[in-house]
Amino acid sequence: MVQPQRRAVHPRNAVIAGVLLLVAVIGAFWVPIYARSAPKLGDFPFFYWFQLIWMPVVMVLCYLAYLLLRTPRTERASGGQRLGESGEAR
Amino acid sequence: MNHVNTASLVVVIILFVVVTGVGFAAARWRRAEEMMHLDEWGLGGRGFGTFVTWFLLGGDLYTAYTFIAVPALVYGTGAAGFYALSYTIMVFPIVLVFAPRLWSIARVHGYVTPADFVKGRYGSRGLSVAVALTGILATMPYIALQLVGIQAVLTVLGLGGTGSNGFVRDLPLLIAFLVLAFYTYISGLRAPALIAFVKDGLVYVMVIVAVIYIPTRLGGWGHIFSTASNHLAATNPKTKKPFGSLIVMPAGEWAYATLALGSALALFMYPHSITGVFAAKRRDVIRRNMAMLPLYSLVLGFIALLGYMALATPAVRAGVKAADGNAQLSVPLLFENMFPSWFAGIGYSAIVIGALVPASIMSIAAANLFTRNIYRDIFAPGASSRQQTRVAQFVSLIVKAGALVFVFALSKQFSINLQLLGGVWILQTFPAIVAGLYTRWFHRWALLIGWAAAMIYGTVQVYRVPTPGVPGSHWGGSSAPVFGHVIYIAIAAFVLNVVVAAVLTVVFRLLHLPEGTDETLPHQYTADPEFVVREPATAVTAAGGTGRP
Repeated sequence: MVQPQRRAVHPRNAVIAGVLLLVAVIGAFWVPIYARSAPKLGDFPFFYWFQLIWMPVVMVLCYLAYLLLRTPRTERASGGQRLGESGEAR
Repeated sequence: MNHVNTASLVVVIILFVVVTGVGFAAARWRRAEEMMHLDEWGLGGRGFGTFVTWFLLGGDLYTAYTFIAVPALVYGTGAAGFYALSYTIMVFPIVLVFAPRLWSIARVHGYVTPADFVKGRYGSRGLSVAVALTGILATMPYIALQLVGIQAVLTVLGLGGTGSNGFVRDLPLLIAFLVLAFYTYISGLRAPALIAFVKDGLVYVMVIVAVIYIPTRLGGWGHIFSTASNHLAATNPKTKKPFGSLIVMPAGEWAYATLALGSALALFMYPHSITGVFAAKRRDVIRRNMAMLPLYSLVLGFIALLGYMALATPAVRAGVKAADGNAQLSVPLLFENMFPSWFAGIGYSAIVIGALVPASIMSIAAANLFTRNIYRDIFAPGASSRQQTRVAQFVSLIVKAGALVFVFALSKQFSINLQLLGGVWILQTFPAIVAGLYTRWFHRWALLIGWAAAMIYGTVQVYRVPTPGVPGSHWGGSSAPVFGHVIYIAIAAFVLNVVVAAVLTVVFRLLHLPEGTDETLPHQYTADPEFVVREPATAVTAAGGTGRP
């Protein structure tokens, strides 16, 4: 039987990750935030530069969520027993 | 644009030949002892790490539709077309939440398709067949649209579009697709995974050069935005309203937001996206990728801006007008007018190869669905791995032939309508799949009826949308007024779907209708067989039921 391989994510971390991801989604979903032309950044109206800059922000938020949701691994299966390896592993 | 540009054509042909070589060579890449297994042909051995998965998913999710249709929409309507950017911002934080669970349960039980999971979770063949059929139905027109994208490039290249003989005109497209079909047949998912490296490289080069170089030719971004704004403000003779606007108007905000959200929720319900996820080697790979994939979305943002650059180039406007207002030509025409012809060839190749990669993965994903959830589950319950792989290989050819029929025999408009519908349809598999990852609360029959209700409602609603300026016409778009706001029909249908499923679940519970067996266990949703607690490595295989030797 497959054993539970990881300790569960700490509930506090799960909540923080959830909030970060929610912020990421709402920043794009709540159109009135950015449906305006001022302030401009260079020649770019706000509508455009906000969305283009929000993208890297979302990358950071997603990466933080990834770190928060990562659980300490238990022992890694020895090479010869790995399921994911192709060919010679079996 | 009626003459053939030799330099561009030579570059496109060379890169196509390179990619073809890579496609066939991919059969030998990460070769397994037993290749006649659906895990190998259909999922590339389930062994792709973070790096390969990033290229594969990037090459998979950003299709010719992105390169051609999004800028065309921006060209035609302005800010409204930018929903695609908002959509690709939202998709990764959402998918980061549930995709690892889907990966884990699929890995433990050896599921190849989302419908496999639905069948295992709910013990309902009806529901799994519904999910499989929806996936195949939504994928076919999507593949057809890859062809439409390639056609746009070929037209600008001077091949096709204007020829009198239909067969000669479409010959280049036919050859490209035939070659694609062959290496997909031979190499399976390994072919698009390896070609994705070429594709993504070309796309990045094309976009970086375009974004830096073209504005210098057009008098800077300020000029591009102001020219685009003037053209969008002009009155459309058909609708008597402006073509569009540079900023989303308050009346368009709901449509923009729901289109973005609906598309984001739907993207990873598409079989080809899930195939990309299932091919990952470890659970961690998925989340790490969700944090890295938005880099492609940034590229998409700039590709969308190409629509404005096209609008600010008089020669492109003239070209689009000459082609009966076909805005899909705007990006290829922009390349033709802005770049030296050899670099235009690089840009064209990026679009063509950018269409071939997803078309290949889509046909594999549809073939997996057919093989596992229709052929095996209904017609040949005892089919061996070898038989399943043979069937899937064969079906991948049929699927591509079907897509060709869409483009050649039926009208182009028909494939675009079906693509609109595809987005509405595929979202209706979300409750069964994603809710199923967390809870068995929903009753399987309630989910099936909710799905059916939403499919019918969504189809009827999309049918009733008139083309702007043409009262009484049909299939004119995918947004319609619901409770006073114009919103994306997929979202309205989705709400109906969930409400029907929830209400009927309560009713069916009270009636004690049979629930079906659930073959999954709670801890399997967070499992990663790569990291096991010593002894059970062989037991994992047995419990996983992957059918490996």
